[in-house]
Amino acid sequence: MTHPVKIVMVEDDHGHAKLIEKNIRRANINNEIKHFDEGGAAIEYLFSEEVLTNGPLLILLDLNLPDMSGTDILEKVKGNERLRRAPVVVLTTTDDKVEIQRCYDLGCNVYITKPVDYESFAGAIRQLGLFLSVIQAPEIE
Amino acid sequence: MSLSRFSDFLRTPSLVRSITALLVLAFALLLLVNVGTFVMIQRTAKVNATIEHAQLMRRASRTVMIAMLDAETAQRGFLLTGRSEFLQPFEEARHDMEPALVFLEETAAKDPELDTYVKRMHSLADSKFAEMDATLAMAREGRIGEAIQSVRSGEGKRFMDDMRATVDQFDEAKSNRIAERTRSSQQSGMLTVIMDALAAILVVILAILSAWMVRRYVAEIQAAREQVDALNVGLEATVLERTGDLMRANEEIQRFAYIVSHDLRAPLVNVMGYTSELEQAGKIVEKAIAEAEKEREVDKEVVVAVREDMPEAIGFIRASTEKMDRLINAILKLSREGRRNLQPETLDMTAMAQGIANSVHHQTEASGAKITVQKMPTIESDRLSMEQIVGNLIDNAVKYLDSERPGEIVVSGEEAPGNFIVYRIADNGRGIAPRDHERIFELFRRSGKQDRTGEGLGLAFVRNSVRRIGGTIDVESELGKGSTFLLKFPKRLNLSEPGAAL
Repeated sequence: MTHPVKIVMVEDDHGHAKLIEKNIRRANINNEIKHFDEGGAAIEYLFSEEVLTNGPLLILLDLNLPDMSGTDILEKVKGNERLRRAPVVVLTTTDDKVEIQRCYDLGCNVYITKPVDYESFAGAIRQLGLFLSVIQAPEIE
Repeated sequence: MSLSRFSDFLRTPSLVRSITALLVLAFALLLLVNVGTFVMIQRTAKVNATIEHAQLMRRASRTVMIAMLDAETAQRGFLLTGRSEFLQPFEEARHDMEPALVFLEETAAKDPELDTYVKRMHSLADSKFAEMDATLAMAREGRIGEAIQSVRSGEGKRFMDDMRATVDQFDEAKSNRIAERTRSSQQSGMLTVIMDALAAILVVILAILSAWMVRRYVAEIQAAREQVDALNVGLEATVLERTGDLMRANEEIQRFAYIVSHDLRAPLVNVMGYTSELEQAGKIVEKAIAEAEKEREVDKEVVVAVREDMPEAIGFIRASTEKMDRLINAILKLSREGRRNLQPETLDMTAMAQGIANSVHHQTEASGAKITVQKMPTIESDRLSMEQIVGNLIDNAVKYLDSERPGEIVVSGEEAPGNFIVYRIADNGRGIAPRDHERIFELFRRSGKQDRTGEGLGLAFVRNSVRRIGGTIDVESELGKGSTFLLKFPKRLNLSEPGAAL
């Protein structure tokens, strides 16, 4: 890994974002986390020259965004020649079977339902952190 | 009854009545024509008979005339020659004349005018023959001159002239009558022909009228049928439209429940998350206070706040949010269940209920309760829905048994009229108060002593599922005696019915 993996988090709920970040940090993941609370800004960032040319990244995606659905972002990312290799972790409250299937069909790599129970939530995020620490994210070329 | 219906028929103007009237009229006309023709034929025959009779009479009168001429000729021949062979035609003539006169008298007896002629003919004939007999008698005695003198006196000639005139008069009278009869016969014949022609025209008109009315009637029926068809199509379209509306509304409600429950979940994650964070922070503070206490007196209020108030507050927040989470999950589950596709299959309900009874065996065994599953009819329905319904009801029966007496739960079922099947889950548990019989099926509502865990979801789910597969659920229960839940389903789940898809 020449460049450290950058984590792009698209999450409209600041509380959630903070909790996710906290728990990732508690899992000893120190990668840079870039947070967006709306889809438009996230897409703008993801498709900027800076990201397209700079290093590997991992996307944490919430589906219920104020300006668009997370699946739109997923579709765009997976449809892009350069970004499509970036792992996308969908992290959302929705546990609808149809929605989960749709996300995997669109190319999402992991789908995690946010548990309401905080212990489970923290546990899930820490495991995700553990997962992040071992996965190899491909370079973005 | 039938009479009044008939009079109703007569009173009510209708097409059938009009056509019936027309047909009756046509038949009456035909009958009239028939009778008229028959009468005419009879009359003509009669006229012909009279004419023939009249001719016979004319002939008879001529016979009389000819006989008299023959007799006169014979008389004169005899008088001239004195030879007796001349007298033979004389006797023959008398012989011929007699029956003709008798015939005339008989036939003319009823007719005064003719009778007069015939009587005169008879008397003239008698007179003539008397005169001739007299001359002949003279001649036979040899008094020829006297006889010729008698002839010469012209008496016999007068008789003959009178006779000729009378026969001519008779003949003329007779001819006039025949002509009259023929004329009247021709007139009535013409009348009949005209009547027949008129009747025929009328019948044709009636037929045309009937045909026209029938045609109009058929056209009206056709139009009415088309209208009914159009209305039917409209009705079907309306039903489809309404069903569509209902389904859309239902989908919307489910979607609403789904979205709301999801959106409610997101803030809940925060509430629970930060409560935990707060708890963690509290523990750190508590630790710091414990450290501080070792060195100096810490403010009592701070100690109470950190060691009692904060954990208590956090405890309540956590309990409430957990409960809220359960409720949201329940709504989610309900809406998800409503979106699931139903798959009808033949279900062995006896085996299904036995399986469910076995799965709660450890609970029933512990409390000494017994579940009896009787033989039940199979049903064609959705397996998952059915399992949830029966499972929930058996769970409830076990859950709310009365500890005062050994529990007895009986699951039974039978076919019901109208292609239905009724299943019963009966227990001798604590029972439900009458005022709660409806309430227990509502979401989050429970009945009786709240000493069992639960959110008040089970029966709400059950009723939702029962309705979805086209059934109904009822409860019969008496507080302290037990409850019986009655399930009624169609034998075969029909998904094409609008209600089933809702």
